[in-house]
Amino acid sequence: MTTQRSAPVYLNLLRIRFPVGAVTSIAHRISGVLLFLSLPFLIYLLDLSLRGPAGFDRALVIVQNCWFEAGFTLICWSLLHHLLSGIRFLLIDIEQGVTLQQARRSAWLVNSLAPALTLACSWWIL
Amino acid sequence: MSRHTHGLSEWLLQRLTAVYLAAFLAYLLLHFLFQRQHTFQEWHDWMTHPAMIMATAMFILAVLVHGWVGMRDVVLDYVPAIRLRITVLSLIALTLLGCGIWALRILLQASG
Repeated sequence: MTTQRSAPVYLNLLRIRFPVGAVTSIAHRISGVLLFLSLPFLIYLLDLSLRGPAGFDRALVIVQNCWFEAGFTLICWSLLHHLLSGIRFLLIDIEQGVTLQQARRSAWLVNSLAPALTLACSWWIL
Repeated sequence: MSRHTHGLSEWLLQRLTAVYLAAFLAYLLLHFLFQRQHTFQEWHDWMTHPAMIMATAMFILAVLVHGWVGMRDVVLDYVPAIRLRITVLSLIALTLLGCGIWALRILLQASG
């Protein structure tokens, strides 16, 4: 076999170009997996909150206590990023914002809006 | 399904469920934006309104489908070993099924 690979394989992570859209895309995956993993926790909270006034108060306390400690912020970011980047992907599917410049701009927007809105949510919840 | 169209129905299903999930989440966000604080009674009455029960049940089903297609895509991309892949996919399916039954049961109990 004398065929040569034309595509270079960079195992050095620092040498891989990671454009902003790639960050949006991989974060969409990561946030999706995190949301899947947090499903039991979220359903548990729903269960508690509908059981009665005591359970409702307990669910609120859990959310407020977990906000920074047990990663409720992470769940919140995951939901926001997944939602926003999902809307971006749907728009690109129907050929809205497909030019490189527009796609980069929307990727920046999604990547920064998700953490910003997560911060806004702490004002809301705490 | 014919080999020719393999994957297309999943692709479409993922987007259809995505639109519903996004719409429902937007409704939730708007609701909580306009009414930040809830008492238990307000929360319970809102959640057990027949229209809300229907919409939430559909949301749960959409989460199951969307979660399955999405997690399956991730596993197919990163887990090449066939036995491990089947094991992981089974665990995901069981988790989603369990979560779905649990969540629907909560809705039924709250409304009943």
